[in-house]
Amino acid sequence: MQSFILGLVLLWAICVSQADAQVRFNRDIRPILSDKCYTCHGPDPGNRKSALRFDIESSAKADLGKGRFAIIARDPAGSELIRRVSSTNAALRMPPAYAGHAKLSDLEIDTLRRWVREGAEWESHWSLIPPQRPKLNGATHAIDQLVQARLAREGLTLSPEASPATLLRRLSLDLTGLPPTPGELDDFLHDASGIGHERAYEKQVDRLLASPRYAERMAVLWLDAARYADTNGYQSDGVRDMYRWRDWVINAFHRNMPFDQFTIEQLAGDLLPNPALEQRIATGFHRNHRTTSVGGIVAEEFRVEYVADRAETTSTVWLGLTTGCARCHDHKYDPITQKDFYRLFAFFNNVPEKGQVYNFGNEEPMIKAPTEEMSRRLAGLDAKAAAAEAAWQALQPKIAKAQRKWEKDIAKGSKAQRAFAAPPNRKGTRDPGSRRAAPFCASCSIDWTVEEGLLLHLPLDGEAAPLESQPGKIGGAQRFDGKHFLEAGNVARFNYLDPFTISAWIQPAAPDGAILSKLEDYMEAEGYGLYLMDAKLRLVITKRYTDIGLRVETASRLSLHQWQHVLVSYDGNRYANGVSIRIDGVEQKLNVLFDDLNYPLGNDEPLRVGGGGGEKLRFRGVMDDVRIYKIALNAQQALSLPVLETVSQIAAIPASRRNPAQQAKLRLCFLDQYAPGEVRLAQELLQLAQRERKQYHDTIPTVMVMQESPGIRDTFVLKRGAYDAPGEKVTPGVPAVLPPFQKGWPENRLGLARWLVDRGHPLTARVTVNRFWQMLFGTGLVRTVEDFGSQGEWPVNPDLLDWLAVEFMESGWNVKQLLKTIATSATYRQSSQLTPALLEKDPENRLLARGPRFRLPAEVLRDQALFTSGLLVEKTGGPSVKPYQPAGLWQELAGGSGYKADRGEGLYRRSLYTYWRRTVAPPSMVTFDSPNRETCSVRAVRTNTPLQALNLMNDVAYLEASRKLAARMMRESQGTTTQRLAYGYRLVLSREPKPQEAAILLNAYQGFLAYYGKNSAAAVKILSQGESPAEASLDPAEHAAYAGVASLILNLDEAVTKE
Amino acid sequence: MDTVQLQLTRRHFFSRTATGIGTAALSSLLNAAGGLPGMPHFAPKAKRVIYLFQSGGPSQIELFDYKPRLQDVAGQEMPESVRKGQRLTTMSASQSSLPLVPSRFSFSRHGQSGAWVSELLPYTAKIADRLTFIKSLHTEAINHDPAVTFLQTGAQIAGRPSIGAWLTYGLGSDTENLPAFVVMISPGGGGGGQPLYDRLWGSGFLPTRYQGVKFRSVGDPVLYLSDPDGFPKQNRRLYLDALSRLNQMKLDEQGDPEIATRIAQYEMAFRMQSSVPELTDLTGEPESTFQLYGPDARKPGTFAANCLLARRLAERGVRFIQLFHRDWDHHGRLPTDLPKRCKETDQPAAALIQDLEQRGMLDDTLVLWGGEFGRTVYCQGRLTKDDYGRDHHPRCFTMWMAGGGMRPGITFGATDEYSYNVEENPVHIHDLQATILHCLGIDHTRLTFQYQGRHFRLTDVHGAVVKPVLA
Repeated sequence: MQSFILGLVLLWAICVSQADAQVRFNRDIRPILSDKCYTCHGPDPGNRKSALRFDIESSAKADLGKGRFAIIARDPAGSELIRRVSSTNAALRMPPAYAGHAKLSDLEIDTLRRWVREGAEWESHWSLIPPQRPKLNGATHAIDQLVQARLAREGLTLSPEASPATLLRRLSLDLTGLPPTPGELDDFLHDASGIGHERAYEKQVDRLLASPRYAERMAVLWLDAARYADTNGYQSDGVRDMYRWRDWVINAFHRNMPFDQFTIEQLAGDLLPNPALEQRIATGFHRNHRTTSVGGIVAEEFRVEYVADRAETTSTVWLGLTTGCARCHDHKYDPITQKDFYRLFAFFNNVPEKGQVYNFGNEEPMIKAPTEEMSRRLAGLDAKAAAAEAAWQALQPKIAKAQRKWEKDIAKGSKAQRAFAAPPNRKGTRDPGSRRAAPFCASCSIDWTVEEGLLLHLPLDGEAAPLESQPGKIGGAQRFDGKHFLEAGNVARFNYLDPFTISAWIQPAAPDGAILSKLEDYMEAEGYGLYLMDAKLRLVITKRYTDIGLRVETASRLSLHQWQHVLVSYDGNRYANGVSIRIDGVEQKLNVLFDDLNYPLGNDEPLRVGGGGGEKLRFRGVMDDVRIYKIALNAQQALSLPVLETVSQIAAIPASRRNPAQQAKLRLCFLDQYAPGEVRLAQELLQLAQRERKQYHDTIPTVMVMQESPGIRDTFVLKRGAYDAPGEKVTPGVPAVLPPFQKGWPENRLGLARWLVDRGHPLTARVTVNRFWQMLFGTGLVRTVEDFGSQGEWPVNPDLLDWLAVEFMESGWNVKQLLKTIATSATYRQSSQLTPALLEKDPENRLLARGPRFRLPAEVLRDQALFTSGLLVEKTGGPSVKPYQPAGLWQELAGGSGYKADRGEGLYRRSLYTYWRRTVAPPSMVTFDSPNRETCSVRAVRTNTPLQALNLMNDVAYLEASRKLAARMMRESQGTTTQRLAYGYRLVLSREPKPQEAAILLNAYQGFLAYYGKNSAAAVKILSQGESPAEASLDPAEHAAYAGVASLILNLDEAVTKE
Repeated sequence: MDTVQLQLTRRHFFSRTATGIGTAALSSLLNAAGGLPGMPHFAPKAKRVIYLFQSGGPSQIELFDYKPRLQDVAGQEMPESVRKGQRLTTMSASQSSLPLVPSRFSFSRHGQSGAWVSELLPYTAKIADRLTFIKSLHTEAINHDPAVTFLQTGAQIAGRPSIGAWLTYGLGSDTENLPAFVVMISPGGGGGGQPLYDRLWGSGFLPTRYQGVKFRSVGDPVLYLSDPDGFPKQNRRLYLDALSRLNQMKLDEQGDPEIATRIAQYEMAFRMQSSVPELTDLTGEPESTFQLYGPDARKPGTFAANCLLARRLAERGVRFIQLFHRDWDHHGRLPTDLPKRCKETDQPAAALIQDLEQRGMLDDTLVLWGGEFGRTVYCQGRLTKDDYGRDHHPRCFTMWMAGGGMRPGITFGATDEYSYNVEENPVHIHDLQATILHCLGIDHTRLTFQYQGRHFRLTDVHGAVVKPVLA
């Protein structure tokens, strides 16, 4: 049972308990003033109840009038502060009883009194003073010197070194998240007898740091800080795909990317000169925050939330400051103003992003993020497409020649036909050869229209009472009376990601009317429709009219009472910029009325021609030849469609006098129907190569990235933090209390990143090494790893923290070297053996008179079970996987089809690859205190609950691991039962059982065996846990009994604990 | 103050656990360390809470907030004098017309108190005299996620502890065999509705042991509760005995009190393997129970079954029991769908009150019924002869409360003629939260936790106890 608040008090008690030590302002006094006085006498002017401030020395020691002073150095009795906090008169006492505040404790009052008596010396807040390398003497390891110095003040010393087996297990779990194999332990012991323990140990450290497992282990902590997940969070919690960023992190740790570069690339990789793909992928860090696609939200409210999340996460991860407190008002404890917060916010406020995001994948800005292998394959396909294009181009002279010859041939036929002046009629047929009524010469009159992708063709030639029929542009046409419309059945059911093209000839008689629609007869309904609104042509695609849909219209008006050809195409990419509208073949300038199409449509309404917007929007006028294609026609196709002259007629026009539309129709017809085999083959090859390239390109994963908008979005202080209450305008900048920007740093994210990792920065290095310390020792040197401000903890060993920070920076921010430095210290290598005296003196091991001992993190627990049982599939990176999960967890919260576990290797990958749905996080991770990935989390929390016991005993993942571990015990150890049991112990705990332990194991084994010997059906059942194949060759009763013991071993306190 | 005493408790605990674990500590292993010292702040009226959360936002206009004059203005545009430019969700903000629509369900007065209750809730109507209606609740959020989060945690943005976690942290547990904070979910007839998420009963920045434990209707009621097939209880006992002996050896040698805790947690897990199935096994309930709660009570996972389980949990000392019934989000098809939700919930909710009363438990159990916001008086989407919908409405909604600490048979607060704005005695979410804590003997301003340098509390820096509704 751990509780982190308690430690704060405890440590403080340790600090002040030394009667001989001098009281120090930062360590002893500021925490009292901050916690008990700053609310009314602190940095926040909004709440300040008096001119007297205790966060500023000059104010705290100022003359209060009438000869009174809050603090008079060396005169506690004369100091108003001491008089007021110790007053027994409730009306005078501070903090005031009338406001519900409790009296300071005696210890607190005494500490304040001693400080005043000793001179009331003031200090800047410790974490804002850049770290200096403390002076060391002696040749021993610097960390040990500094820890020893601290221990000596308490009359303690370091504990002796842990046993080699314990040490190697600790080191392996710490650096790779997996325990050592018996072979690795043997190597270590063997090596030690050869080259000596010291060098053998160092070799192990180097080996583990070089392992790809190290990178996976380190990545987990960074993913927690970066709030990485596979879904968006909030209510609808749609999917996203950020694994390419996650793999970037793994790779960066593996290559030991210096932490300053790691910082710069993630915060501002896109702003580096000529950023590489990997540097852009890195910026996914600040797109990992939660986003919402929920309908009905005010998008700006959430966009502001995203930006604030970035500012707060940056503060927590690099500054260790709770700047988020200054979002609604000046910080109540730290010298951070609300303006400071919004200046930090401004760095992240210029991303071209939406507040309401897409629920079925990544949201802009995003990039294609191929792996190296994907890039190679794509380059191959590009080359293939380029070659096909070149071959096609090379054929052009030949094609031109062939087409000219063909034109001449058919022109002759056309002239012949024209002489007989047969009226053109191409309705009702699709065969180009017989399309024309050609009574005299079937081969001499040719016409053609685009057939590719044609889904529906309504010639509107026949009778459709009560509508009147009349001659149209092509054969007959329908006159619509503004009351009636046609229905064509439930066809053309395009969804929001389907491309389509709609074309028609229209002669409108009124400025408003529905041309064609597929939605309830109500313009704001779900579906799509093409309308004339105020004589402008408008395409409407609607999920919910008020907030989910797409609407564009032409900038100019159509003419009433004239025939015009209208053509609308949509490319299926759900953005308005994928819509093209042509009137009489001329591309129109469009106005985007609404551009938020992000959700599948559902509607089973009939396709209506001339209706679909209610009674007020029935079409009035004449309409002819309606066509619907299931593709977005390309420009040439679109251009050719309104051309009424037949191919033969065009061919008869001299080439120089044909217009581009006629040219297009002629060429498309030739290529489609009459080109020589060689040309058609080249065209097919080109299309195939392009299609193949596109299909592969579509499978390449994307990643959301940071990007700057072309303009600068203004940033304002938001009053009370509310998105709709802008106050003063601000520019990007850093809190005034921290070092200023250097000249030459751009005032954008890149400058911010450079500032963070500048050698003179007081916080970044300290905050970072403190997190690594927490990873290894369970608790940071500053326990409040997320808060180095006034309300945070004073470092338990400030010299050690500063030494580590300086060492880290001066090593070039070398993470592996820092970890090696710590891991090779005697402090790290101590035994974690407790004594009653140590337990009494330092129950939480803050002073480090013994080695760390604490429960393994969630992911390490599961990985250890997979690893020791031989189930673990080690493969770095790739899409997230879905291991076992109890049925129904997703449905009971959100409905839907629920969680579907993978088959095969997805069940056995390391836990950092587990699919993370934010609103229903993987239960076995959360049960063991994994952060929920909703927001940035850097503090390690460890609880000890019965739910954890149930999870480890009964989760199929652990039952299967027990079965497999048992099989290893039986197969890899050939000896007696006791030896086999001991082998299982060794696999998990890296040691042999003691005789008494062996006896307990044997006793349990025999008990299980006795049961399964009599109940073979039960043995079969317990051995059928998990998807991995059964071990048919093993005796079921014995195997089941070993599996019982294997589970027991995996549940031992020692197994779930790093010692 | 409190933390110093806590530290002493903790040290005391350590010194004890070096040689073995005390029974006082044992009883609290599942949850908090028995609550905070000095808690409760004053004598509580209620020992526990059953919160029947109706997720999605039930319409106050069809259920409780009777507005006869709406009939006269049906179909007319929403007057701007009522809306006063307040923000709407973007679902209806750009709707071209906002026609007023009255309830198509009738109301009558019930009980001596004469409370107005809709024909859709006949069972609730019968117990109206035991209920306290608050018609003037209002919230700040206009969408589900922030609104539910606000009710549950006192803040719209996720990250703070839920109300059940706060109570468990403050008051500890009254049961040795069950979690102190239990959550149960029923999907609503169509299985649809707004999704819920685990963080709604999470512990936020409080240690995770204070989070609500979700009891499930599918599979194990508690995750991983059942031993696997082929591993009978005798094996589990043998297993735990061996495990305990091995861990005890480790404890003797190593001295880490964490080991003692772990030994006890495995024993607690074993006890839960009996206590939870016993809890969820309804075969011992007499026929009269099922008559009271209705036939659905026999179907696991229904609201009725969960209400019955809530009573059983309350009997066994669980502190905070929260039921979520989904699918009250009637943007459209309200006349068809709302009656279904009412049918699913009306009888069991009323039965729970009667059952608690019969058992003498209503006096010290606080029961709440309500959603995260109300619904608009104007129609969302298309208004037709048979159909209409209502959008989210944060400015007023109705809840009822009953039992420990409440003044029964009264209606508090009132809205205008459109059920749009609160006219009288507004009750903010933070006020409601303060009132709940008050019934449990807690001063909401003094139940705090320091995190990221700040003392957080459920009611942030707001909230006032609604005294007139208290007994």
